[in-house]
Amino acid sequence: MNKLAALSILAVALVLPAVSSGEIGNIKIDQQKHSKAQAGVGVVTFPHTRHEKLNKCGDCHPKIFIDKAGANKITMKGNMEGKFCGSPNCHNSPRAFALYECAKCHENVKKIK
Amino acid sequence: MKAPFKIGKTALLFLPAVILGFAVFVSGTFNLAESATAKAAAAKPAGKTEAAKPPAQQAIDPTNASSVIYLDTAGKPAGIGDPNAPPSAAFKLGRGWHPQALSAVGLAKDRFGLIDWAKLVRDNVIKPKPSLDPADEEMPPLKLDVLIPAKGDFVDDVIYPHEMHTWWLKCEVCHPNIFIPAKGENNMTMVAIAQGQFCGRCHGKVAFPLADCKRCHTSPKSASKK
Ligand code: HEC
Ligand code: HEC
Ligand code: HEC
Repeated sequence: MNKLAALSILAVALVLPAVSSGEIGNIKIDQQKHSKAQAGVGVVTFPHTRHEKLNKCGDCHPKIFIDKAGANKITMKGNMEGKFCGSPNCHNSPRAFALYECAKCHENVKKIK
Repeated sequence: MKAPFKIGKTALLFLPAVILGFAVFVSGTFNLAESATAKAAAAKPAGKTEAAKPPAQQAIDPTNASSVIYLDTAGKPAGIGDPNAPPSAAFKLGRGWHPQALSAVGLAKDRFGLIDWAKLVRDNVIKPKPSLDPADEEMPPLKLDVLIPAKGDFVDDVIYPHEMHTWWLKCEVCHPNIFIPAKGENNMTMVAIAQGQFCGRCHGKVAFPLADCKRCHTSPKSASKK
């Protein structure tokens, strides 16, 4: 009986993240509109699902990002100082593409030439 | 009775390590001998060409004195790679493996493991020339910092240091082709820089990489917003 209970808890624990992941999909980050417009770059699309496949939830939440859309004041300044996307194990490291590859995250980045 | 047995056992345990060590030692000396004969063969003018075939790529260990780092006439590391190519020529062309030979001499590195050339100039380790033409008159580095405000509300502004650049480069390298020599007259953007314009003509190619944001973005935003 006890064993069954433990097993079912285990099953739920295994299935839950599998269900909740894949549902998040892409998150649009459209804060700091004014600043982005000045720099000539558009909205950022954060592919949550793709990151779920490469990292554990605990890698990012809650230390790097509070898990609530819009609750993080993400800035490019923060990124280059090793916060948010630019955290030491992320886009400020050889693990992922570098921060200056604007068009990989931002929409409407002007193509020069 | 027990003690000798123990010693015998430990000796037995170490035997494989000893054999391995010996094998490494032997193959090491063998490699040395082999490359020596290869060099001798290469030194001979015309003759058996098959002996001069390049040796197989070896792992390069800068701390190992017998690793294939070539020395120039002054005895300084000049190149790693093809023993048939004169190291001094390889050194001049900046070709082959010489960056790795350079890494062996313990020059200062940045956080990407690249040689920090700016620091070497600041620390008086090297004195680069802005021109290779001996007829060119030498100009002392220009001590002029130019503030380049970053667009947007957050990112720190950029201070462009003429001094570090004019150690290496003549004015004509940048003016007027890359930059109009007037503050604020160049319509730069980070987007353009990241696509190889303006600072991106050199940074990420021959100078420290663009990923090192904070080496350019050095002036706090609030300081310029007076
Ligand atoms: C590596 C490129 C580079 C080199 C080499 C270089 N400059 Fe400049 N220079 C710049 C940049 C970048 C600016 C800033 C332009 C801006 O603000 O839009 C500038 C600005 C200037 C200005 C305008 C400053 C102001 O406050 O308006 C002068 C004058 C100038 N440079 C002179 C020189 C002289 C003289 C040399 C040679 C000794 C030289 N530069 C070499 C990149 C260079
Ligand atoms: C070689 C120097 C250099 C490096 C390295 C550099 N930047 Fe810049 N950046 C500049 C200059 C110059 C400007 C100002 C352009 C202008 O006139 O608007 C700038 C501007 C910016 C802006 C404001 C938008 C704009 O176009 O002005 C952002 C955001 C930015 N940089 C982000 C970054 C990030 C993130 C990195 C690191 C991945 C980085 N920069 C690395 C030189 C650099
Ligand atoms: C013509 C090539 C060239 C261009 C264009 C150029 N740089 Fe440089 N820069 C260099 C070289 C070479 C060095 C010295 C070697 C190094 O640090 O990698 C250097 C060094 C620097 C340094 C010194 C770093 C330190 O640690 O002292 C800064 C800051 C810098 N560049 C910023 C800029 C900015 C900002 C621009 C654009 C406005 C720019 N550079 C454009 C070639 C260039």
